[in-house]
Amino acid sequence: MVQYWTAILTEAAIFGVLALGIDMIWGWAGDFDLSAYAYFALGVYVTMILTIGKPSPPVEYILGWHLPYLLAVLISVVVVVAFASLIGAVALRALREVYFSITTLGAVWAIYYLVENFTPLFNGYNGLSGLVDPMGGGLSYNAYHYLFFGFCLLVLLLAYLVVMRLSRSPFGRMVRAVRDDELAAAVYGRNVFWTKYRTYLTGAALAGLSGSLFAAYIGAFNPLDWRPTEIFVLYAAILVGGRGNPRGVVLGSFIVYVGFVELTRYIPSPSARPELGPALRQILIGLLIILMLKFRPGGLIPERLGTDDSRRRWSTGWLHPRPRASVKIPEASTPLSVESSDS
Amino acid sequence: MTGAALLEIRDISKSFGGVVAVNRCSMTVREGTVVGLIGPNGAGKSSVIDLVTGFEHPDSGSVRFDGTELVGRRPDVISRMGIIRTFQSPREWRDLTVIDNVRIGRSNLARESLFRSLVFARGLRREEAKETGEIRAILKDYRLDDVRNSRAVNLSGGQKRLLEFARIAAARPRLTILDEPMGGVNPVLGERIGEAIRDLKRAGSTVIVVEHNLPFIEKTCDEVVVMDLGSVIAQGAFGDLRDNSRVVDAYLGNDDE
Repeated sequence: MVQYWTAILTEAAIFGVLALGIDMIWGWAGDFDLSAYAYFALGVYVTMILTIGKPSPPVEYILGWHLPYLLAVLISVVVVVAFASLIGAVALRALREVYFSITTLGAVWAIYYLVENFTPLFNGYNGLSGLVDPMGGGLSYNAYHYLFFGFCLLVLLLAYLVVMRLSRSPFGRMVRAVRDDELAAAVYGRNVFWTKYRTYLTGAALAGLSGSLFAAYIGAFNPLDWRPTEIFVLYAAILVGGRGNPRGVVLGSFIVYVGFVELTRYIPSPSARPELGPALRQILIGLLIILMLKFRPGGLIPERLGTDDSRRRWSTGWLHPRPRASVKIPEASTPLSVESSDS
Repeated sequence: MTGAALLEIRDISKSFGGVVAVNRCSMTVREGTVVGLIGPNGAGKSSVIDLVTGFEHPDSGSVRFDGTELVGRRPDVISRMGIIRTFQSPREWRDLTVIDNVRIGRSNLARESLFRSLVFARGLRREEAKETGEIRAILKDYRLDDVRNSRAVNLSGGQKRLLEFARIAAARPRLTILDEPMGGVNPVLGERIGEAIRDLKRAGSTVIVVEHNLPFIEKTCDEVVVMDLGSVIAQGAFGDLRDNSRVVDAYLGNDDE
C-alpha cells in the first residue's frame, strides 16, 4: 500500500513539473499551447536513448549511449528547448489565441505520427524499454522507489522555487502585461514576441525536465503512453489549482493526479466493456473543467496580484493572504463617472 | 515654447486597399509644445499616429524624431526612444493591479531580464521598493491611490483614463501622443485631463492631442494642426485658424458631428 501511494505521488510530482511549465505558457503568457506534451515525450525519449545503451535487433533507435543520468537530463532539456524554439518561432510570431493553438496542435500530431511511424528514430510504435537508473544501481527495489520519490519531490520543489521567483519578478509582471494587452505592452517598449518566446522556452524546458524524470519512473515508453490529448488533464490540474499561480498549479497537479487516479480506480469496468473506466475518467475530467470554470474560474489559489507591500515574500503567502481578484473598489474614491468611454 | 523641431513628418502617404488614408502629409512639432491635431472623421489623424508610432508603415515619406528616422522600426523600439501613445479607448493591463500598471511605466527592460529576475530577485525587489513612494505620489495625483491594489479591470471608465495618464507620468516620455483622451468623458473629468496634459508639458514632455472637442483644444494647446482628406490643410495658433475658410469648410462642409 505504501508503495502504491509512493508511485502515485511520484507521478503527481513529475506532472507537477510539467504543469508548472504549461502554466507559464498559458497562465502567464496567455498562449493555449497544445504541443507541450510532445516536449514532455521528447524529454522521455532523449533521456532513454542517452542512458539505456545500444539497441539489440530488431529493436532500433538512434544513439543508444550509456551516459550518467544527470548529464542525460541536461542534454534532454537542451534538445527539447532547441526543438521548442523552432515551433515557438513559427507559432508565436504572428499567431494568437485559437490560431496559435491550432498550429501547436498540428505540430504535436506531426511529431506524434513521425515518432510512431519512423522506426529508426525511437523504435516507432513499439517504443523504447530499458532501465534508466538515476541512482547508479546497487539499491533494493523499495529503497530505489523511495529515493526516487524523494528525488522527484526535490526537483519539483526546485522547479517551484524557480518559477515562483520568476512569477513575482518584474519579468513575470511584464509577461502578464503582454498577456493582458499586447498593444499597450508594445507602446511601453516591450518586445511582445521576445517576451512570449522566452516564456515559451522556459515552459518547454520544464516540460523536458519532467519528461526526463518520467523516463526514470517508467521502464518503457511508446506512443500509446503519450496521446497528445492527455494534455487536457494538465490543463484541468492548472484550472483546479489556480491558473497563473505556481502554488496553485502544484496543488492542482496533486489533486488531479492523486484524486483522479484514486477515484477512477473504483469505477467498475465490466469485463465485456473494458474501455468504460478510461472513458469515464475523460468524462470526469471534462466535467471537472466545466465545474471549475463555472464556479471558481480563478482556481483554488488564484493568481496573485502585485501590491505595494514591499515585505511580501514567497514563503509567507499562506500566513498573509494577498488581495485577490475580487477586491471591491471603495465608493468614496469614485467621484468621477463617465458615460461610455468608447468613441 | 519655441524649442527645436522634435518630430518632423515629411510627405508620408498610406493607402489601405484603394482608400488613401494619409496623402503626402507633413508637419513639424517643436519640443516643449502641446499640439492639437484636429480634423473631421476620416481625415487621417489616427492613421498618422499609427504611422509615427510604428503600428503601420507608410508607403512613402519619412518621420524623424530628434533627427532619427522612425519609419521601419517596431513600435516597442520607437517607444524606447521616448514616445508613448494612447489609443481611443483606454488600454489598461486588466488583470494587473493599478499600482503594477503604473510600475510598468517606470520599469525597464534591463530590470525585466529573465536572468536578473532569477538571480538577483532580492536586488530587484529593493530597486522597486525604492520607487514605491514616487509611484504612490503619482497614484495620489490621479486619485487612484485608494484603488492601487485592485485589478485595473475593476476601475470605472474615467479611472481607466486617469490610469493612462498615471502610466505616462511614470514613464516620463519625451513625446506623448494622445488619441481622443476626452472620448466619453464628463466635464469634470475633462478638466482633470486638461490639467494632466499641462502637467505633462510642465514635466518636459511634448504632447500631440487628437481631439474633436474644440474648446478643449483652444484651452490646452499652443498650436493646432488641421487635417482633411489625409493631408495637413493648416497649422498655427487656434485663434488664427478660426477665420481660415478651408478649415471652416473642412469642419462644416463634411460629415462631421
